Amino acid sequence: MEIFLYTALFSPLLGSLFATLFAAKPKLLIAGIVPTLLLGVSFISSSVLLAHILSTGQVVHVEMMTWMEAGDLYIPFGFVVDQISVTMMMVVTLVSTVVHIYAIGYMDHDKSFNRFFAWLSAFVFSMLILVMSDNFAGLFIGWEGVGLCSWGLIGFWYYKESATWAANEAFIMNRIADLGMLVGIFLIYSNTGTLQYTEAFAALPSLDNETLTWMGIFLFIGAMGKSAQFPLHTWLADAMEGPTPVSALIHAATMVTAGVYLVIRANPLYDLIPQVGLFIASLGAFVAIFAASMALVNRDMKKIIAYSTLSQLGYMFAAAGLGAYWVALFHLMAHAFFKALLFLGAGNVMHAMDNELDPFKMGGLKKTMRGTFIMMTVASIALAGIFPLAGFFSKDLILEAAFVNHHYIIYSVLLFTAGLTAFYSFRLIALIFHGEQRYKIFGIHPHEAYKFMLVGMSPLLLLAIIAGSFKMPYYEMVTALLPATEYHVHSVAVYWAMTIGTQLLAASAILFAYKKYARNNIKVPDGSSAVEQTFVYKLLINQYYIPLIYEECLIKPYRTLSRVFWKEIDQKIIDASVDGIANRFYSTGEATRDMQSGNLSTMLKWMVAGLVVLLSLAVVFAFAASHPDDIKLLLSGLGVQ
Amino acid sequence: MLDHILSILIFFPALAGIFGLGVAKDSMRAYGTAVAFIEFALSLFLWFSFDPTVSGMQFMEELPLVPAFGINYILGVDGISLFIVVLAAFFTFIGIASLSDTKNIKNLIITLLFLQMTMVGVFLALDAIVFYLFWELSLVPMLYIIGAWGGPKRIYASVKFFLYTFTGSLVMLVGILFMAYFYYQATGVWSFAILDWYRLILPAEDLLTGDIWHMGNYQMWLFLAFFMGFAIKVPMFPFHTWLPYAHGQAPTIGSVILAAILLKMGTYALIRFLLPLFPDASVMFMFPIAILAIIMIIYTAMVAYAQEDVKQVVAYSSVSHMGVIVLGTFALNVEGISGSIFLMIGHGVVSGALFLLVGVIYDRRDTKMMKDFGGLAHVMPRYATIFGIMMMASVGLPLTINFVGEFLSLLGFYQQSHILTIFAGTAIIVGAIYMLSAYKKMFFGELTNEKNKNLPDLNKRELFALVPLVVVAIWLGIYPKPLLTPISNSVESVVQLMHDKATTDEAKRRIPSIAQEIIITKTSTKEMH
Amino acid sequence: MDIGLNHYLVLSTILFSIGLVGVMRRKNLLMLFLATEILLNSVNIAFVAISHYYGDLTGQMFAFFVIAIAASEVAVGLGLLIVWHKRHNNIDLDTMSSMRG
Repeated sequence: MEIFLYTALFSPLLGSLFATLFAAKPKLLIAGIVPTLLLGVSFISSSVLLAHILSTGQVVHVEMMTWMEAGDLYIPFGFVVDQISVTMMMVVTLVSTVVHIYAIGYMDHDKSFNRFFAWLSAFVFSMLILVMSDNFAGLFIGWEGVGLCSWGLIGFWYYKESATWAANEAFIMNRIADLGMLVGIFLIYSNTGTLQYTEAFAALPSLDNETLTWMGIFLFIGAMGKSAQFPLHTWLADAMEGPTPVSALIHAATMVTAGVYLVIRANPLYDLIPQVGLFIASLGAFVAIFAASMALVNRDMKKIIAYSTLSQLGYMFAAAGLGAYWVALFHLMAHAFFKALLFLGAGNVMHAMDNELDPFKMGGLKKTMRGTFIMMTVASIALAGIFPLAGFFSKDLILEAAFVNHHYIIYSVLLFTAGLTAFYSFRLIALIFHGEQRYKIFGIHPHEAYKFMLVGMSPLLLLAIIAGSFKMPYYEMVTALLPATEYHVHSVAVYWAMTIGTQLLAASAILFAYKKYARNNIKVPDGSSAVEQTFVYKLLINQYYIPLIYEECLIKPYRTLSRVFWKEIDQKIIDASVDGIANRFYSTGEATRDMQSGNLSTMLKWMVAGLVVLLSLAVVFAFAASHPDDIKLLLSGLGVQ
Repeated sequence: MLDHILSILIFFPALAGIFGLGVAKDSMRAYGTAVAFIEFALSLFLWFSFDPTVSGMQFMEELPLVPAFGINYILGVDGISLFIVVLAAFFTFIGIASLSDTKNIKNLIITLLFLQMTMVGVFLALDAIVFYLFWELSLVPMLYIIGAWGGPKRIYASVKFFLYTFTGSLVMLVGILFMAYFYYQATGVWSFAILDWYRLILPAEDLLTGDIWHMGNYQMWLFLAFFMGFAIKVPMFPFHTWLPYAHGQAPTIGSVILAAILLKMGTYALIRFLLPLFPDASVMFMFPIAILAIIMIIYTAMVAYAQEDVKQVVAYSSVSHMGVIVLGTFALNVEGISGSIFLMIGHGVVSGALFLLVGVIYDRRDTKMMKDFGGLAHVMPRYATIFGIMMMASVGLPLTINFVGEFLSLLGFYQQSHILTIFAGTAIIVGAIYMLSAYKKMFFGELTNEKNKNLPDLNKRELFALVPLVVVAIWLGIYPKPLLTPISNSVESVVQLMHDKATTDEAKRRIPSIAQEIIITKTSTKEMH
Repeated sequence: MDIGLNHYLVLSTILFSIGLVGVMRRKNLLMLFLATEILLNSVNIAFVAISHYYGDLTGQMFAFFVIAIAASEVAVGLGLLIVWHKRHNNIDLDTMSSMRG
């Protein structure tokens, strides 16, 4: 089985290196096809591993080589394929294979085609390291690796100022969180003496609660950055500057779920500290509704989907925080499928619309883009959690988990968010595909994407529909590792009332969205309508002014402070005092240079004066040395010690 | 040959430099490259003959100079110095091989060869006087390089560099003399041999209970005297202001050697002298120095962010990274010190490469101001790629060389103080900020400046210099073991020595004993299974 | 009255003072030379007198050394003086300030 582990892990790297060879050359189709095929290999290997685990239940664990060794510290490159990581591997390799196929079409006309695949495959490699590592240090490698690839891919069109700005923002914000993660790792090492998951987790129960709490908090700070939780969430919406396949793969399906993965992976830790878990769940619920509210009014197709991702990540954290780790992982998986599908569909629309992102300028696209229309609609139904699509099963479980644990506030927030989700998803669908063909005003001639792209997307379509049916086999598999908590509402009546109520709420939100936005006389908003004048609208469209606050309160002061440090402190205080000391010597020399008049007569006078001084000093000291007691007496008489 | 390999390593470049006076100007570059390559090969030979399992000194040489005063020519190499010597030889080779055409190239190469002698001498000398001689001698070629081949303010920069570091060294010299005097008082024999000094336990006061400003608190006073010399060389905040000038005015090769090797003398000497000689004082000053190091990390990183000249960004980033090295050193445990030594190598490779990269663009455009660039990735993709890799290595991305050192340094210091480590850890944030914004300014965006439209990408000679550095930066990030094992072996003996010598309770507690630790971990792993 | 050591030392001191004042006050290079000779010879007198007083020949030997050095100094100095006079046509100390710092 080790061989499959290695092929699953290293074939994306191979693909990336292959594409790198041609990175600076003009487009070569082979630089896209080979990485895609290698990802297929990785997917097949992952499937074999999945089959192995399903049939035998045995964990595959390898230790490739030593990485760091100093003093007591020992960190190997170790990889483990267990029930959790194999789930993640399946999600990652499947979605990335689809995205790779899709990108061959999507990046067709891009002159940096080859470079794109180098980065994209490198990302998959890093993500696999992240999920397969058997220790925290390896996790951190992947953690930073996906950050790097995300930087390279958000800023892929490096000539765009907004893209590179967003890339740097994402990297730096993630680094802030990574510091938390790093401190968490240090904390684990200094308390347990190891970074291996199994050994570290085994040592946890013997530690005191305060240490564990800090560990949980610091690791979660790391998770907050990668999964864009409040207040480190702003980078995710800005990251939509990257090419759409990147948004689908990195900023919807895989990388942003790394934080959830971390919490799931560290479940033995979070089980011991339910108070931190509750905080995670509350923050998750808050982010769910917070992000959903911003999606309600946004006028950028990709950003709407990004906010919905954020909101769904909130759901996952809510589940993980409440101890329903397997539910969180299940929602992670289902979400990866339908959200990637949604993004890829959005990519098709973008291509058709000449990169126009405002859904108000689209409309009526269902005639020209039938395939995309169907796919995006299905993905949106899944996202809204309508039976029997994937989202229903996973989201319903999260709601149940919150309800059964008596966290009714979290439950009602999540329930309300479910309604919002359904609304904004179908607001988007209605605006893009229904109503009048408003794009004609802007002289755009849409066309459907390549056939092979649609065919490539179809596995996701299928999974978005049927993923819910994996629930029981999946449950049996992962509960070998994760706490097997089943969430059943005790009374059957309450259960049905909840389920049907949720469905009705979502369905009515969808209908409302259709009614409001699938009409024929939608106008492109120009800031004149009454809604746009309201405070709430302004608050939401400006993302609660948080980016502005960051700009004003963090970025600008940092810039100013840096400037002050350089110009004022470094140059005018520190360096000036050094130069001041040097100048003091110089000016002393300057002041006394008149002594060296060059006139022999004057100099001889100075010489005699010096001689007299030295002679008298010699006499005084000789006297003092010969009469020490008298001197002491004299000094004490003068009041000196 | 093995008996005298260290002397050969030191004096071969100098002798070759003297012979170089007679070499024709046209063939000087080839001659210099050949000499530097032989020296590099010799250093590799030293590495392969080095026994990594031995923690003490190897290939020792001893020759009496002034036996009456215990001044002897003693050389030796251990895991701490070995790789810095290899790095010095490597960078001299890379530097000379990649030298672009300048005036008086013959003098420059001869100067570099002399500089190499002094650098290697500093790292191999085990006698304080010989160490001091090489330490001071190294200033002269550098002064000449900055003063003769530098930018418009080269005289100011070189004089500042010389006087500033020289002042520090003089204080250190006083420390050396006093140390020898105390040794004489204690044993009745004069000796300047460092290994002899290691055995001397000097009186110290406990920070918490003792009267530390008492004149008999020899460790503290001597610690301060030595520290003064080393701190200016490192350079520690607030003694760092000579460095930006020196880098700003020095030619590319000067900056490369300065950043890659010369700064390491200071941190190397911290480990060679301060820690084993004054364990109690080291513990006493651990927190003040750590705070200085943290100020250095954050403050200089912010200053780097404000720079307009890309070379100054790299220069200030050097100072910031040296802060992490100092912090790791004062972790006073195996992880921290090994990490700081590894980071010395890593920082040498990475900042050396970054200075070479800045030199590349300076050769083409005669400017280093970032506002003159922008969109360089369009015309120089290879350059942008290598710069990007090195930038990420500098930021300390895992699987690059700097991460290993930074991780270990911070991990080591975490065991001394949690809060301070969190502050020091901001290095990974502030580092990313200045590096990424500099990279964005230079490489991203549209190509607006007409003069940049036809810039040629890296040529063969530049690639020849840079590709090995990229390889090393990644190779050692993935597989640091060949370096880390000998380093941590030698560090273990240093830490054990410190623990044994420590007299105050605080120091005994702060410096872990290796022997004890091994027993503890063995029992604890048993409990686990 | 016997002429004892003290008399010699007093004479030596007086001569030394005369020489010192001469060294400080004279502006003529030639006179400066004479003043230095007086200084040296005052020391010589002290040397010889003390040597005689202790019956130790070392002092007299030193006096010979001093005489020899004084002679060579004068030889070199006068030579320079003549060259200077030939070039500048004076030997006034105030005109010699090329060593001004």
